[in-house]
Amino acid sequence: MVFPTLQFIGFFAVVLALNGFVWSRPLWRKAMLIAASYTFYAAWDWRFCLLMAGVSAVAWQGGLIKTRASRIISITMLMGTLGVFKYFNFFMLSFAQLLDGLGLGRDLQWASIILPVGISFYIFQAVSYVMDAHRDHITARRNPTDVFLYISFFPQLVAGPIVRAAHFLPQIDAPTSPDANARALAVVLILMGLFKKMVIANYLSVLLVDPVFALPDGQNTLTAVAATLGYAIQIYCDFSGYSDIAIGIALLLGYRFQRNFNQPYRADSLRDFWQRWHISLSSWIRDYLYIPLGGNSGSASRRNFTILLTMTLAGLWHGAGWNFLIWGFLHGFGLAVERAARFTLPRALKTTLVFAFVCLLWIPFRAADFAETQAFFAAFITLDGYAPVDLTTTTLALIAIGLSLSWLPLRWLGNAETMLARVPATAQATVLATGIWILFATAQEGVAPFIYFQF
Amino acid sequence: MSQNAKFTTTLFIALAIAWLLSGDRFLDAVFEMVDLGSLDDIVITSVVILEEGKATLGLPDVFAAIRGAIHSGLGL
Repeated sequence: MVFPTLQFIGFFAVVLALNGFVWSRPLWRKAMLIAASYTFYAAWDWRFCLLMAGVSAVAWQGGLIKTRASRIISITMLMGTLGVFKYFNFFMLSFAQLLDGLGLGRDLQWASIILPVGISFYIFQAVSYVMDAHRDHITARRNPTDVFLYISFFPQLVAGPIVRAAHFLPQIDAPTSPDANARALAVVLILMGLFKKMVIANYLSVLLVDPVFALPDGQNTLTAVAATLGYAIQIYCDFSGYSDIAIGIALLLGYRFQRNFNQPYRADSLRDFWQRWHISLSSWIRDYLYIPLGGNSGSASRRNFTILLTMTLAGLWHGAGWNFLIWGFLHGFGLAVERAARFTLPRALKTTLVFAFVCLLWIPFRAADFAETQAFFAAFITLDGYAPVDLTTTTLALIAIGLSLSWLPLRWLGNAETMLARVPATAQATVLATGIWILFATAQEGVAPFIYFQF
Repeated sequence: MSQNAKFTTTLFIALAIAWLLSGDRFLDAVFEMVDLGSLDDIVITSVVILEEGKATLGLPDVFAAIRGAIHSGLGL
């Protein structure tokens, strides 16, 4: 069940109504939200619910028993589960290729496993819960329903934001009834998120990005540049659109999430970019990977090694493949160079260089394999490709609108929110329903899954 | 009635009106949902009654018209 579908809208309307009925009964409210979250997750595959319940149980016990052994066992179990589901197929494929090479080829298709949607996100939340409990940043909950709800809460379950227990657990005890401002912000975020996903991201994908990446050696300089820009905008609108919707629907239920994107393509350094892009993952990696690996301590070469290792692992988090490894490594390399060189350039030039660097690195991230990446880069210096994709006015307009979202003054959104906060609740709901249906009318037929579901 | 209750009620009504004026069928969405066991029959029967009621009204598919206009206007 994905957000921009009739099925989800019907589901959410029912949950919103039930949330109102049980608002003043904490136990019922928690039980209803857990039931709703597990129903939401079961829409993919009910067996995934057993896995999520197991992860929640490990986190609950791992937080309660505050010994070093308990911490190591629970973190190993959690990360081991993630490792098995994310990398088992890659290792089996490599093993099958090795057997082929030795003339002992076997069909190992039977040994492949399905990657449960959103597994990285809720396991990262479980890990942060255990670590924070052991670091005394939070008080571990005796009541399992609190931990189960924290791990499974459906707005952020399958693609984040990765919510921290210290931020969310107090809200479970005392959620804030949405006032006019919160409802207005939620309406703006949900409509903006749907627009980014259903209009910008989905159409750029179908009209430009997918056709170009399907046949990179048939493209020319112009279509290669357009598709590079197109994918940078598509992935931003797809992922930040999901976050906007997640934050908006949580707000309507009485829970506040922190911002996950802050106009990342305005960044004037790579460090700035990572403080604006997928903020909840960047801060998770900083707190639970970069700092434990050494962080900013030690010599310059030691710090550079730490940043390279951290970013390479962050790349591999997206999947087992050379493309993700290269993407993560080069981001780490860029961060290390940036820290060592301390460039003094005009801000506009720095922003342009960072944007170009980030866009170029999206190519290996999007490409199916290394050969496709090479073919795509070759297209940059090809003047007459044999089958270039048509660049229509609509495609160029989508790129322009997508780019402008990154430079749009934030006060414009604030103004829309302020105006909407002044109207009655009935008008706010009418704006939301009308906006949803107009966006559904604008969108293509069918459901396009969010890019980050695969991670 | 609190403002939040008004918001939720209006959202339900507005979505229901939008559904009445659209060709979208909740029945398809219900069949995609997770198996609810014995509740399934009740849900499916209720949705079938709603869909039949909608068909009886014979309302135009306004959203298909909007979709068609937007798509042809933008060359999508």
